Amino acid sequence: MFGNISEGRRYIAVQIVPYTPTQTLRLNDHSLAKCLLQNVEKYYGVYGLGIIEHGFRVKYCNERTKIAIIRCLHRGQRFVSSMLPLITLIGDVRAKFRTLYIGATIIQCNKFIIKHQKQFLDRVMGQVESAKERQDLFKRVMELDMDR
Amino acid sequence: MKDSQYLDVKLKLRDTESIVLTPGYLIGCILNSLESLFGEIGGKTSLDIVKFSAAERRLILRVPQEFVERARIAVTLIGHYQEVPCHFQVLNASKNQLDFDSKNDENVVKL
Repeated sequence: MFGNISEGRRYIAVQIVPYTPTQTLRLNDHSLAKCLLQNVEKYYGVYGLGIIEHGFRVKYCNERTKIAIIRCLHRGQRFVSSMLPLITLIGDVRAKFRTLYIGATIIQCNKFIIKHQKQFLDRVMGQVESAKERQDLFKRVMELDMDR
Repeated sequence: MKDSQYLDVKLKLRDTESIVLTPGYLIGCILNSLESLFGEIGGKTSLDIVKFSAAERRLILRVPQEFVERARIAVTLIGHYQEVPCHFQVLNASKNQLDFDSKNDENVVKL
């Protein structure tokens, strides 16, 4: 009904950095959203939670590349971006967030993530020996299916 | 004290017998409400009880100026004191020090 009314939205691209590098995250977008909302409540109370809850959504969460895109409304962005560095536990895994980029559209965020992943590939590709492994790595790093 | 406001607050309880009313418990109750509403970052401040009367169930609170709005919200939204339903009524708010019988105070902010 209100689909045409556009509200100022912000898309925050974050990278999840686990404390032990080999650990799997076992994370989906629901558990990530739950973790973020719990932390907003902890640091900004029910008032802060009320402000950000409207329009809040985890748009994309890739367990393999450990990159996620969080959507929030413009007025709640300060709450979300300021408590991201304070989080040390995501689900039951010890990890931290690295804020990569904040954009106004999801396309900008996608562009940035692709650029970021390409940079990562440039660094790592030289160390991989066989062509098969390189192809696998390329596929793994550049996967970005936005089906949500 | 500069840059602070005084709130004259009255506690109204449903059941007055089963509670222990001390300044410490009261300030804890208000700070708890502040923290649950505004969180660890937004809800931390220095609250002082300037005057307290257990018989009248009234207290004068000193709140830093920039925290008056939040403190009043938190005080207003308290629903329980030691698990007894209650509410707080803010009788007066002033930049000057308040007293329990300050009816003719010119600087009192009318509510």
